[in-house]
Amino acid sequence: MAKLRNVAIVGFAQAPIVVRDEHRVASEILYPQVRRALADCGVERDAIDYQVAGSADYVDGRPFGFVAALDVTGTWPPRQDLHLEMDAAFAAHYAWIRMQAGDCDTAIVCGYGKNSEGEPEHVLNLELDPYYQAPLGLGPTSTAALQASAFMARTGTTDRTLAEVAARNRTAGVRNPDALVRARATADDLERTPWAVAPLRKGYLAPTGDSAVCVVLATEGKAEKMCERPAWIRGVDQRIERQTLGSRDLSASAGARLAAEKALAMAGVGAREADVVELAATNPAEELILLEALGIGPSDAVNPSGGPLCGHPFMMTGLIRLGEAFRQLAGRAGDHAVPRARTAIAHATLGHCLQQNLFFVLGTERRWT
Amino acid sequence: MKRPVAVVGVGQTQHSSRRADLSIPGLVREAADRALVDAGLDYGDVDAVVMGKAPDQLEGVMQPEQFLAGALGAHLKPLIRVHTAGSVGASTALAAVTHVASGLFDRVLTVAWEKQSEGNAMWALSPNMPFTPPLVAGAGGFFAPYCRAYIARTGCPPHIGPMVAVNARDNATRNDYAHLREPMTFEDVMNSPVLWDPIRYLETCPSSDGAVALVVASEEQARKGPRKPAWIKAGYSYAEAMWVPGRDQVSPMAGKICAKAVYDAAGIKNPWKEIQTIEIYVPFAWFEPMWLENLGFCDVGEGWKIVDRGDQKMGRHLPVNPSGGVLCTNPIGASGMLRLGEAALQVMGRAGAHQVDGARNALGHAYGGGAQYFSMWLVSSER
Amino acid sequence: MNEPPKEPVKYVETTIHLPYHYVAGDVRARYLHALKEKKILGARCSKAGKIFVPPLVASPESFAPCEEFIEIAACGVVTTYCVVNIPVIGRNIEIPYVAASVALDGADISIFAMIQECKPEDVRMGMRVEAVWKPDGERQGDHEDIQYFRPTGEPDAPRESFLHRL
Repeated sequence: MAKLRNVAIVGFAQAPIVVRDEHRVASEILYPQVRRALADCGVERDAIDYQVAGSADYVDGRPFGFVAALDVTGTWPPRQDLHLEMDAAFAAHYAWIRMQAGDCDTAIVCGYGKNSEGEPEHVLNLELDPYYQAPLGLGPTSTAALQASAFMARTGTTDRTLAEVAARNRTAGVRNPDALVRARATADDLERTPWAVAPLRKGYLAPTGDSAVCVVLATEGKAEKMCERPAWIRGVDQRIERQTLGSRDLSASAGARLAAEKALAMAGVGAREADVVELAATNPAEELILLEALGIGPSDAVNPSGGPLCGHPFMMTGLIRLGEAFRQLAGRAGDHAVPRARTAIAHATLGHCLQQNLFFVLGTERRWT
Repeated sequence: MKRPVAVVGVGQTQHSSRRADLSIPGLVREAADRALVDAGLDYGDVDAVVMGKAPDQLEGVMQPEQFLAGALGAHLKPLIRVHTAGSVGASTALAAVTHVASGLFDRVLTVAWEKQSEGNAMWALSPNMPFTPPLVAGAGGFFAPYCRAYIARTGCPPHIGPMVAVNARDNATRNDYAHLREPMTFEDVMNSPVLWDPIRYLETCPSSDGAVALVVASEEQARKGPRKPAWIKAGYSYAEAMWVPGRDQVSPMAGKICAKAVYDAAGIKNPWKEIQTIEIYVPFAWFEPMWLENLGFCDVGEGWKIVDRGDQKMGRHLPVNPSGGVLCTNPIGASGMLRLGEAALQVMGRAGAHQVDGARNALGHAYGGGAQYFSMWLVSSER
Repeated sequence: MNEPPKEPVKYVETTIHLPYHYVAGDVRARYLHALKEKKILGARCSKAGKIFVPPLVASPESFAPCEEFIEIAACGVVTTYCVVNIPVIGRNIEIPYVAASVALDGADISIFAMIQECKPEDVRMGMRVEAVWKPDGERQGDHEDIQYFRPTGEPDAPRESFLHRL
C-alpha cells in the first residue's frame, strides 16, 4: 500500500434537524454552521485553502440553488471551489483526494438544501431512468421495499427483526440533541405501525427534514493545531453500480461490499474493530444489507447518533454520518458518546436501493507514519 | 499537482439542436466511445468516472449519472458528478485531473453533456423563483447589462460584437462537430433581431444537444498510448460570492485570480506571447473582448481592439475559439469541457481543419453562474 | 390488450409536476412586509458597515453577520440595463421591457428592477429613478408592491459614480 498523506476531520457543525425550518432559507441555515465549525477549529476563513459542497437542485427545486451558498461560505476574496450534485459526503471524499494530490491542506465541506420544500417521494422518482423505470411511478420507498423484500426472501429475516433494528436506532437517537426524532420507540411500537410499502412499515422509514452541515478537513501538520483529537482518515472508497433494478441482486450490495473492502484494506483494520459504525441506511433492511457487506452483525456500535431513522436530511445524511463518526473519536459526542472509541466507519449512499456507496474508516491514530 | 497528468483521448458528439436519434445514454456513449477509442483504451481500463452537467431541470431528470452508470462502464467503480453551472464541463475535467494527480487513479474517463432539447431550456435557466421579481429572461437577460457596461467603459464600437459572431461562425465551418456551421455576414448579424439590447440574436449561443468526453491519465499511461498527449500544465477552479459591494461583473476577480494561478503554475509570464490559441467561453459575442482583458491577454479597455484588428482570427496572432466556440455549439453542461478538450486537441496537433499551426500552449476556459465560477487549464505539447 | 405499435417507440413524452412550498425566511419576509408600508429595508454588515438590499443574513464580503435593519431610499441610479424583447414562459410582462440594475441611494449592492414610464430607448446608464408603488390599500407585502421604477427627471449621476458599481 503506497504511503498517502494523513488527513483528518477536525471540525463538524450541524444544524439540528427539523421537519421544516419556517424561518430560514437553505443558505441561511448553513451560514452559522460554517462559522461555528471554523470557530471550533480556532481559525478564520482565510486559513482554509479549499471549499467543496454537495447538494441537489431538485431538493428545493431551484436550478443553480447551490450558487447561493457562495454568499455564506466566505467566498470573498474568490476561493478555489467545487460543487458536486451529490450527498455532501462525496464532496468530503473529493476534498481528501485533492489533499492527496497536494493541491490543498485544509478544506471546508458543506451540505445544505431544504428537504421540506419539495416532496421527496416525487422528487426522487426522477433519479430513475426516464424511459423504463421512472414512468412506473416508483419512489424511494417503493424501490426500498423491493430491496427489503428481496433481502428478506434470501435471508429469512422477519418483520420483527426489522422492528428491532429500527427500535435500536430510535433508542440511540434519544440521546442525540441534533436528531429530528428523539422519542424512544420499542420494537412492539414500530411493528404495529401501518405499512408504508410492504414489507416496510411507516415506523421503519427515515424521516426527511431540514438541516445544514459543515465539516472541516486538514492534513497532518495543520490538523493537530485545529483539533485536540483529530479523527484521521485511514481509508476511504466509493463504488457505484448499475441502476436498473432488475440488473443486480438487490438482496445484497455488491458495491457496498467492494467499497467497504477497499476502504478497510487501505485503513489496515477489520470491520469488527470499529467501535462506531455510522450507516446512512434509510430503513432497517438497508442497515442489515450494509452490515452484511461489512461482515459484521447488528450491535450498539451501529448508529449511536440514531442514524437516518432519527433524521434524514437527504443529500447531507452521509456527511452527517462522517461528522458523527468524528464526534465519537474526538470525544465530542456528549450524551450519545461511545466510550473509548478509537476506530469508526462512516457510510454514505446515493440512488435507489443502495446504488452508490461510500465508506470512510477513521481512527484516533494516523495510518501512515 | 503531485504528478503530471495528460489528456490521452478526446471524443465528442455531433452537436445539433436536437439529437432525436439518441437517448441520453446513447448521447454520452457517442462521446465516451470516441474518447476511449482515441486513447486506445476500453471501458475496463477506466479507474474512475467523473461526470458533469448543468441543472438537471434542463432534461427533467435528477442525478442522471445514476442511470448512466451502466452505460459509462462505471459498474463497481468510483463515480462523481460535478455541477458548477455553466463552467461545469471545465470544472469536471479539472476534478478528473485531480483524481489522476493524486496518484490514486491512473486513467479517468470524464464526460460532460446536455440534452436540453428534451426540456425547456429557457425555463430551466430562469424559472420564476418565489419572493423575487421575475425579470431575468434567460442567461442573455442576465448578462446583457454587463455587456452594456463593458461597452460604456471602454468605448467599444458597435461593430465588435458582430465581428466576433461572424468570425466564430467562420471558424465553425472548419469544425465538423459544431452545431451552427453556416457562415454569416456582418449584415446578417446587424439585421438579426435584438434579443436583450445590446445582444442580438446572431450574437447569441444556440441551445444544443451534445456530449464530450476526455480520458485523462498518468504520465506512464500517456507514454504507452497511441496518441501524442496534451500535458496539463496547470488548472484551477475559482468562485466568488454574488452580492459583494462593488463586485465587477464585467471583469470578475475570480476570473483574474484563476488565470493568474494557472499562468503562475504553468510558468507563463506573458500570455499574449506564450500562448498560441485559446478556447474561451463566449456565449454572447461581447464576452470575447471582455475575457481577453480578464484573462490578461491585453490591458483593460484594449480587448475590443484585438478583435478590431482581426488578431483573433485563424492564421493571425491569437486565434480565439478555432472550433467556433460556444457561439456555435452550446450543450450547456458540455461547453466547458469542449473548450478544454478543444485546447487539448490543438496542442495534440489533432484539430483537423481548425488546427492552429504550431500550437504548443493552449488555454481552455469556462465560466458560470452570475459570472462567479471560473475554471481553466493550460495544456502544452511539451511535458 | 392493445396491438404492439407498428413503428418502434422513439419518443416518451413526460409531464412532470413537482409541488414546492417555499419559505421566504424571516429576513426576506421582513423586507417584503415593509414594502407594504412603502419602506425598503436593507441590512448592515456588523463588521464593515456595508448595506445590503434586499437584506442578507450575512455579508458575502466580510463573512460577518448583518445585524441591523435600516430604511433605504426608494430612489437611486440605473447603473446598467438591457431591453428585453423576448417573452419567457409563465410570465406576462409586456415586451419590450427594460430590466435594470438600480443602485438605491444608501445601498451598497444593486437590485434588479423594471423601468417604465419612458421609452426603452430613453433609458440611460446613470439615469435617476424612483419607485412607483401600488396604491394604498392594494399593497400586499410582496415584491409586486413596487410596480416598477420611473425616471425622476433629475440630472444623471456622474459617470464615475456608477460605471464601476454595477
